Amino acid sequence: MSAERGFVPLTVESLSIVPRLDGDTLRIAMSGAVEMRDPGDALNPYWTLIDEEARRRNVKVVELDVQDLNFMNSSGILTLVRWITRCKSTPDCYRLVLRYDRNVTWQRASIPTLAKLAPNVVVPMEIDA
Amino acid sequence: MITERLSSDYVEMRFGPRWTYISCVRKFVASFFMIGLSDKERAEQISMAASELLENAVKYASEEEGYLKISIAKAENEVDVCVKNKAEPHHINTLRRELALIQTGQPEQVYLKKMEEAAMTEGQSRLGLIRILYEAGARLRLDVNDNEVSIHAIFKLEAA
Repeated sequence: MSAERGFVPLTVESLSIVPRLDGDTLRIAMSGAVEMRDPGDALNPYWTLIDEEARRRNVKVVELDVQDLNFMNSSGILTLVRWITRCKSTPDCYRLVLRYDRNVTWQRASIPTLAKLAPNVVVPMEIDA
Repeated sequence: MITERLSSDYVEMRFGPRWTYISCVRKFVASFFMIGLSDKERAEQISMAASELLENAVKYASEEEGYLKISIAKAENEVDVCVKNKAEPHHINTLRRELALIQTGQPEQVYLKKMEEAAMTEGQSRLGLIRILYEAGARLRLDVNDNEVSIHAIFKLEAA
């Protein structure tokens, strides 16, 4: 695993995020739950760091795996919206793949909707875990 | 009113507006309705709605108010998730405007527009209500009695 600058894990309350650089793909695994009152306090700067480092390293694909995330509140969803909006509005963005489990209700409802914000950048990847 | 007609599929909780309680209420509601409805998806939608409504109530309940109440009632063909709390008049007005806004237009388009607007502004997401409406397919209703607000998320159930 590559834990170099910018690709460091994050643990906040019941949420854990582990990034791993795999060639020109950055795989980020989220687990636990995003249910804190202000998830943006931790997640907005973290996603910004990930975004900046991914661009600096010329990462082609960022795969965000949420299948082990049992819940995300709407404030948590907003952090992803901000990240997607940033990707959409800047040139030469990597492709953002959102990997989710079709058997988890919130994931099946939220992730495809998020992808519609930026269909040229975000790819929903449904799995049947 | 649904609560007068229901029998066993009813749950009510009253507690102080503490954020840390929301997660355990969400998990309890999911488990309760998983058993009551035998429908995992519906149970998770109901618990998500309960969680989002409780988050709003904790954020916007008036400070002197000591508790909020959640009741969930299953009638013959619907489930009514109701969160009740006291709130300041300006928060009640904001809630009225918010509900009116999200109930006009096609839900997916409204949701995407709200997301884009939220991304451009600082502060709270204000995505909870439209998420309940669009993602969970619930109907929303607001009742105001003086400074007491009851917000309902009403889920249609499939006929058995």
